Amino acid sequence: MIAAEEARPPRARVVVEAERCKGCDLCVVVCPQRNLHLATGFNRGGYHPAVFRYHGDRGDCTACGLCYWVCPDFAITEVARLVP
Amino acid sequence: MSDPPEFLKGNEALAYGALRAGLTAFYGYPITPSSEIPETLAAAFGRPSYPRFRVFLQAASELEAINLAIGSAATGARTMTATSGPGFSLKQEGISYAAAMELPLLIVNVNRAGPGLGNLGPEQSDYFQATRGGGHGGYRTIVLAPDSVAEMARMPSLAFALAFRYRTPVIVLADAFLGQLKEDLELPEVAAEAVETPWAVTGALGRERHVLASIHLELADQNRHSRHLQEKFATIGRLEQRAEDVATDDADVVIVAYGICARIARAAVVALRDRGCKVGLLRPISLAPFPRDRIDDLVLSGVRRFLVLELNHGQMVDDVQLAVAGRAEVRSVTEVGGLLPSMAALGAAVESMSDRPASFVDAEEVDA
Amino acid sequence: MSAVLRYETKLGELPTLTGTPTHYCAGCEHGTLTRLLASAVDARGARERAVLVSSVGCSVLAHEYLNLDAVQAPHGRAPAVMAGIKRVRPDLLVFGVQGDGDAVSIGLLELMNAANRGEPISIFLVNNAIYGMTGGQMAPTTPPGMVTTTTPAGRDVASTGRPIDATKLLLGLEGPSYIRRVFLPVAPTSSPDTFNARGALEGEAAIRHAFETQERGGFSFVEFVSTCWVNWKVSILESKRYAARVLAPLFPPGLYRDRFGVEGR
Repeated sequence: MIAAEEARPPRARVVVEAERCKGCDLCVVVCPQRNLHLATGFNRGGYHPAVFRYHGDRGDCTACGLCYWVCPDFAITEVARLVP
Repeated sequence: MSDPPEFLKGNEALAYGALRAGLTAFYGYPITPSSEIPETLAAAFGRPSYPRFRVFLQAASELEAINLAIGSAATGARTMTATSGPGFSLKQEGISYAAAMELPLLIVNVNRAGPGLGNLGPEQSDYFQATRGGGHGGYRTIVLAPDSVAEMARMPSLAFALAFRYRTPVIVLADAFLGQLKEDLELPEVAAEAVETPWAVTGALGRERHVLASIHLELADQNRHSRHLQEKFATIGRLEQRAEDVATDDADVVIVAYGICARIARAAVVALRDRGCKVGLLRPISLAPFPRDRIDDLVLSGVRRFLVLELNHGQMVDDVQLAVAGRAEVRSVTEVGGLLPSMAALGAAVESMSDRPASFVDAEEVDA
Repeated sequence: MSAVLRYETKLGELPTLTGTPTHYCAGCEHGTLTRLLASAVDARGARERAVLVSSVGCSVLAHEYLNLDAVQAPHGRAPAVMAGIKRVRPDLLVFGVQGDGDAVSIGLLELMNAANRGEPISIFLVNNAIYGMTGGQMAPTTPPGMVTTTTPAGRDVASTGRPIDATKLLLGLEGPSYIRRVFLPVAPTSSPDTFNARGALEGEAAIRHAFETQERGGFSFVEFVSTCWVNWKVSILESKRYAARVLAPLFPPGLYRDRFGVEGR
């Protein structure tokens, strides 16, 4: 099932630099599509870093950029749209 | 108003001297007896003869003045602020930061009597505050002490040269007497030389950015920075001692005095020499670095008696003692509260130290 | 799906960010503001003529994160340092970040007088209602009743006065040309685990407007109502809820002055 989902190309994506992340949760709670969550594992700072998944609880990433703007650690390094 | 009249108060002369040394920005807060400095500069502001003088601002406080000055100095502009004792205390925070950030900055203190509000008479009681850094943390500044209206006018040029050469705050320590004294003088020529400021904050256009900050959270970084400052002050201490000798060649007793006290001592030397007393004067022009090498020379050439005259409870005498290092007698003559010492008292003190006592009964007449 | 997918960057690296990891606590608006500042500087193409003045408090290391020429001011004195730079170099874009202790307590004189003279500089105030860097003491902006390390029974306004509203103080002066207050934290919505990011978007626009005001010769001031969960001793998200519940009514966001009409453009 997972394989089938991932096979569908996401319309947009964000890049999270996990080592910069302090796991504050802000990107998670502002994402309208719930495409971000905190990992169960740790980064080297001892935080649960944010992880991006292409197909969120409410739909695909739309490159709205809210996560990028609120992230206090500039850990969201890129927001990109699929070129049709 | 055309060219300034060449019969000026010390404060006015200093202001014109700063203008002729290329002053770009001045910030000040009124305080007697230094207020003629901002007043003179306010009157000169906008006049075509001083095109480099681009900023004059009366600040809301001494703190604001020194911090406005820090901002302008950070861009590499020739910047000055002026004050007197109580205001000098308030500026110490900024001077500490300026020393830490290595900013060239000219601060004038026209020393009045203290502590506290004190009065408007002359004292030299800010000597320790000026020469020991004065603010928090370990730093020194360069401190220059004029003794005439003409030298008040010349001092800004030297002060700016040193401030930019070493990237450090420089203090001109005058006193209420010199600030208010009116004398004939010839104003110095307008300085033309441009100073390179490759460290300045001017926007990182086509170069690596410049950060002027005094915070070094890593202990090793602060250690390195503090050592760098120490080394700089050591270099200044070696190269920038300045003093004037008056009749010290064959002197048995050398008076050490600066500022208005040097004027009194100069007159006393003439009067005492007339009476056969071998007395000389060493006038420190740089109080920091203290001209200890000159004191050392005098000790080595056989001077065994130093008399330190100052308007405080005895501050510079410590520096003389350090330089003499027990090799000669050092005596302190002081006056405080805004009063000046009489030549009679000075003469009597010299006489009591001298190998060839001279009757100084006439001293009162000389004084009068 | 053998075709190579191509993605086009919509938001990415900013030349004005150094990339240095911040010392800010997780979820702190100081970090968010840093990104917004970088974005507004770059949007103006001003990186090579901008000068940052950092102050004392949590903003003391702002110059580590913004890739600009910078001066670090003594506690409370940033507006004076900014004005001193701008007066001799009016061609530069001069701005500073201050905290509420820095700007509204120890540095109120410098703030008020720079504002009163209409110095063409931009001041960004992070008001998190507490002294963060020193460990959570009462600030001039601490709301009544808030427990801090120096008000262990809660702020008693009978003894320590009411919180100072810096925006309204500045509004009492003719000097400032642009005054805005932004609620910067993510804000709770009707859905319990969902927050909006309106503050960040508004904040970036406000910074751009502040810069525009400065370059038209006016003094600009933006207060960012912020949080400090570590010193408030609540969770990150609870700090955002508290800010919305308590600080937003105390420090109402909005446009308070826009003399040049920069927001209408």
